[in-house]
Amino acid sequence: MIEVKDITKKFGRRKVLNGVSFTANKGEITCLIGINGVGKTTILNAIMNLTPINSGHILINGEKIKKESYEKITFIPDAITMLPQMRIAEAMGFMNDFYDCWNQERATELLGFFKLKESERISDLSKGNTAKVNLLLGLAMDVDYILMDEPFSGIDIFSREQIANVFTSHLIEDRGVIITTHEISDIEHLIDKVVLLDNGNVLKEFNAEEVRENENKSVVDVMREVFKA
Amino acid sequence: MNRYLKLVNFEFNRIAKVYFVLLAILLISQIAGVIFSSKNYLNETNRMIYEELIPKAEYLSRYGPMSMDQVLSSIWFIGPMALCVALVAFYIFLIWYRDWFGKNTFIYRLLMLPTARLNVFLAKITTILLMTFGFVAFQLILYPIESTILKWMVPKEFRVDLSVHELISSSGFLELNIIFPNSIIEFILNYGAGFVAVTILFTAIMFERSYRIKGILLGIGYSILAVIIFFAPIIIQEFLQRYYLYPSEILIVEVAMGIIVTCCSIWVSNYLLKKKIRI
Amino acid sequence: MNNIKFNNRDPVYVQVVRHFKEQIATGMLEPGKEIPSRRELANKLKINPNTAQRAYKEMEEEGLIYTERNLPSRITKDEQVLGGVREELILQAVDSFVSSIRSINVPVDEVLSLVKEKYAAEDKN
Repeated sequence: MIEVKDITKKFGRRKVLNGVSFTANKGEITCLIGINGVGKTTILNAIMNLTPINSGHILINGEKIKKESYEKITFIPDAITMLPQMRIAEAMGFMNDFYDCWNQERATELLGFFKLKESERISDLSKGNTAKVNLLLGLAMDVDYILMDEPFSGIDIFSREQIANVFTSHLIEDRGVIITTHEISDIEHLIDKVVLLDNGNVLKEFNAEEVRENENKSVVDVMREVFKA
Repeated sequence: MNRYLKLVNFEFNRIAKVYFVLLAILLISQIAGVIFSSKNYLNETNRMIYEELIPKAEYLSRYGPMSMDQVLSSIWFIGPMALCVALVAFYIFLIWYRDWFGKNTFIYRLLMLPTARLNVFLAKITTILLMTFGFVAFQLILYPIESTILKWMVPKEFRVDLSVHELISSSGFLELNIIFPNSIIEFILNYGAGFVAVTILFTAIMFERSYRIKGILLGIGYSILAVIIFFAPIIIQEFLQRYYLYPSEILIVEVAMGIIVTCCSIWVSNYLLKKKIRI
Repeated sequence: MNNIKFNNRDPVYVQVVRHFKEQIATGMLEPGKEIPSRRELANKLKINPNTAQRAYKEMEEEGLIYTERNLPSRITKDEQVLGGVREELILQAVDSFVSSIRSINVPVDEVLSLVKEKYAAEDKN
């Protein structure tokens, strides 16, 4: 379980996170939704210790993050984390060199899944294919948790469909996933848990299926109510 | 292979292309320099002796024989060396900032490696050292080759053969003494001081990357403090106008100060990388 | 198994169960037929695997599917349950039809003769 407990974050005087708390379970897809810049990315950065927080704490399986944790949890930012001059094969080689949890077999499978060629240079790829390589590098790691920052933004519809397929496939296995988005409609049926954020606060944390079951509301219905209030 | 060595290998490969191009420029330019300088000297000599009819002995006593120090003073020789020094100086900063800026966000990857982040720091500093020693070694290998070319071109009676040592002490460039020290001790001291300076600069960069604008001030402050601590033994003596220590003792104290300042910088950088660094 | 167009307000697992019932009632899924694993189902329907799991659990509880040890689950052969599914679907459809036709205030005989006409017309096509 990933526990985010009452974290605050200021950039200068501007408060970006104002006591954010939520949990994300293994085997579930948790979606952080906010209408606009509400610190979703900052939360993911904070979980990965890529930006210091001012207060609060974050636990992964009950522990603070340490170097070994990066074999258990990975982050797929919205831009590719490899050098543009690298070929896909080289990027995969780099991951294989540095991570014990890298699963070459799965990486090869993902190449086929996304219809990518190993010999292609990252700088020559289309936006959609760059996003797919980025995703591949994270998904081919045998980790418990995967964080994804806006995996659907700014790419073509076919790539979106392909990426959405990942979530229902065995590639996610029983891992815990945290995903940020501002566009829920594509993935409404894919997610377990929704965390609605605004102005650095968690407005509501709920299970999508339970809301449909108990209140007969869609995720968007709940968002409408919460954000209007 | 442990992850530190893999990182060194990776960091070096990232600059390798530029680096080897620069070595090639150094090679071509310096050899061209030897050839041009020798040709010029010979043309001048021939003109003087066969056209102006100055006797050989008088010419030699008036204008002197040809030697490597004439080559050294040409832009062909010193230019590419300066370029190499400039590259290393520039790359001390670029080796960090290139990971934050540009199309990729490679710093994400580096900070998410399942290894101590200090290894990234150490790998980068090792790369800078490797580049520096690589240039020095290449220049030292190149020198005898250039001397040999000079020997082929200029007859024995018109030239003086200088060793690297003689060349550096006879030339007017004091800076060369820093790059090519005369003794092992001097070598260790010069490059040791260089290493201390690079760790201080790296630490200043870590401050800037952690606190951004505020970090620039912190970085500058840290650098000044580190330099003051480093030179403290000398400063105190000068200030008190009392010289308790012999120069050889000062040297030992300075080495100790260097080690302290380096450890301090690495410790601070480690802390910043672990707790304060920002994507 | 065809794609389902899900609505956003009903629980996805309920919609999946209904889909299965329709397939059973129409004979697309025969008694004793092997059904996909929860992972395969999730992938086919583009839904969360946990939801697929939930749907199967629900169907197991209703006796629509059964699992023998570690073998894949199968559609039940229990005639009573199967008949119940058909009945349930018919009742549901009739219920919603009746409630919408009621609002127009039509006498039941007229409705019935119209229904018969429609049936006959559609059978011809």
